[in-house]
Amino acid sequence: MRKVAIIGAATTPFKSRWLDKTLYELAYDVTKAVLADAGIVKDRVDSCVYGIYNDFFARQYQPDCLVHDYIGMAPRPAMRVNTGGATGGSAIRAGIAEVASGMADVCLVLGAEKCNDCFNYEAGTTTPEVLKAINYTADLTYEFPTGRTAASVFALAIIAHQGRYNGLPTKEQMAKVSVKNHRNAVKNPVAQSPKLLTVEEVLNARMISYPFGFYDNCLYTEGAAAVILAAEDVARKLCPKPVWVTGVGAALDWAFLGNRPNLYEFHSSREAAVKAYKMAGITNPRREIDLAELHDAFTGTEIMAYEDCFFCEPGEGGKLIDEEVVEPWGELPVNLSGGLIGCGHAVGATGIMQTVEIVLHLRGEAGERQIKEARRGLVQSIGGIANAWTVVLILEREGK
Amino acid sequence: MATKIDAEKWYRRNSERIGVPVELVKKYFREEFETAKPADAPLEIPDKIEIFYKYTYGRQSRFFREIRENKRLYGARCPKCGKVFCPPRAGCPHCYQDTEWIPLEGTGTLMTYTIVYFSNSAFVRKVPFVCGYIKLDGTNFLMIQNVYMEDVNKARVGMRVKVHFQEERDGSITDLYFVPVDE
Repeated sequence: MRKVAIIGAATTPFKSRWLDKTLYELAYDVTKAVLADAGIVKDRVDSCVYGIYNDFFARQYQPDCLVHDYIGMAPRPAMRVNTGGATGGSAIRAGIAEVASGMADVCLVLGAEKCNDCFNYEAGTTTPEVLKAINYTADLTYEFPTGRTAASVFALAIIAHQGRYNGLPTKEQMAKVSVKNHRNAVKNPVAQSPKLLTVEEVLNARMISYPFGFYDNCLYTEGAAAVILAAEDVARKLCPKPVWVTGVGAALDWAFLGNRPNLYEFHSSREAAVKAYKMAGITNPRREIDLAELHDAFTGTEIMAYEDCFFCEPGEGGKLIDEEVVEPWGELPVNLSGGLIGCGHAVGATGIMQTVEIVLHLRGEAGERQIKEARRGLVQSIGGIANAWTVVLILEREGK
Repeated sequence: MATKIDAEKWYRRNSERIGVPVELVKKYFREEFETAKPADAPLEIPDKIEIFYKYTYGRQSRFFREIRENKRLYGARCPKCGKVFCPPRAGCPHCYQDTEWIPLEGTGTLMTYTIVYFSNSAFVRKVPFVCGYIKLDGTNFLMIQNVYMEDVNKARVGMRVKVHFQEERDGSITDLYFVPVDE
């Protein structure tokens, strides 16, 4: 396999609604931004991978073909990746395969999502219709008719986790994750939900899916993010600060939760982390990783991710937030971007937004959010039916 | 730019086209027609996507027919490993053997659950409700289903439950639900 570098990275603002831009226009904006960041013209791009999750959001099947046209990439080869919430991470993985295999020297990986064109006339809001569009991802025969939501699936996992580990994580520990990620977003100019909250405010918020309240959830987001991947020789010629992809791991677990050996951990997350660490030569992730962007669709999910990424022992994830290890001033800051809760969850773009955040830190360009020792970062992208998909990426700066 | 079209007619046409009451269409689009706007102001338009089906359950058909016709719950057993699936599978994903039907008692244990307070448009009137994974006695895997309870806060992991069937059954998974067993 050839070595692969990230030579360009860009994110549009993440917002609840881009009334003045379509999906294609967001993709167009982020294409211009990422080409400018990489300092290349579009003719250098050999192939494209598009991360777009939901056709119902887009009001269009195969929106990738139209994105490809709108951003002027015809007639290059391109394909769309859709693994639900993990779409962004999976799209980058597919782009890495393009470059590592030699099929492309330069590959554009672009994620975009626009959910709030959905609208429920009875409720007078977008949310019930957005939820319905997402729920079509559940098995239509056995699961969709029960009315369970994406929130329910994460909630079911947390309840199982609490059952296994003496009630851990506690609601307070989960609330602290919400406080941290909303606070981190304050320093992120592209974030949707910058907020200074107290633990009490999080605990007292209205219930969404027990045990998750309003501030335990990420919101729906519209936005786009992109990276440009390049083969080593091209990267060295074109880019003064290449960021190297040194580890990639992915796994797709049983999609019917009922078929899994247990529900208190995400096996795909553990499997993906093991694979990525092996490839990157990491034996002590807690010590060897400087910062991480984890898939905090819900606060408890982030705590499970500490465990599933082997930052701590199973069941002990809550300690990392109690002991401030994952705070910006801690030993292993998590979700400096604000994560899905603070920055937003523009599904197909999310894993790419998280990657862009790590790239900025590794380049020393993260502005107010910049942490000192940023040599190696981790991105975790979870999604798909019952969160069966996980992709883990390890990124390193030059001369780590 | 003031509108040049007959707004009332537009509301009626679009109400009919997307199957939403005309008052609601008017409510959310009135602003567009009653406010003077620059020509390049963002323009929103109503739409829907609708597809009709007459779909087959294939080799899971008996499972749904037994529920609808006989109020009986069946599982699918692999003749090789002996594992029982409910929801059923025509073939065992571990052994690649065709499964055989076996009747189930319909009792089971709630393994994990959530209380849904916020759901999609098809379920908003039902909230809050308990939705959980149930390990049916005699099976090896879990089934997701709703548990009907007076007080949703009494749901507990490990709670014993029993299947109930709706009076009017359609041949879908919502023909059944679970209720707690008083022990």
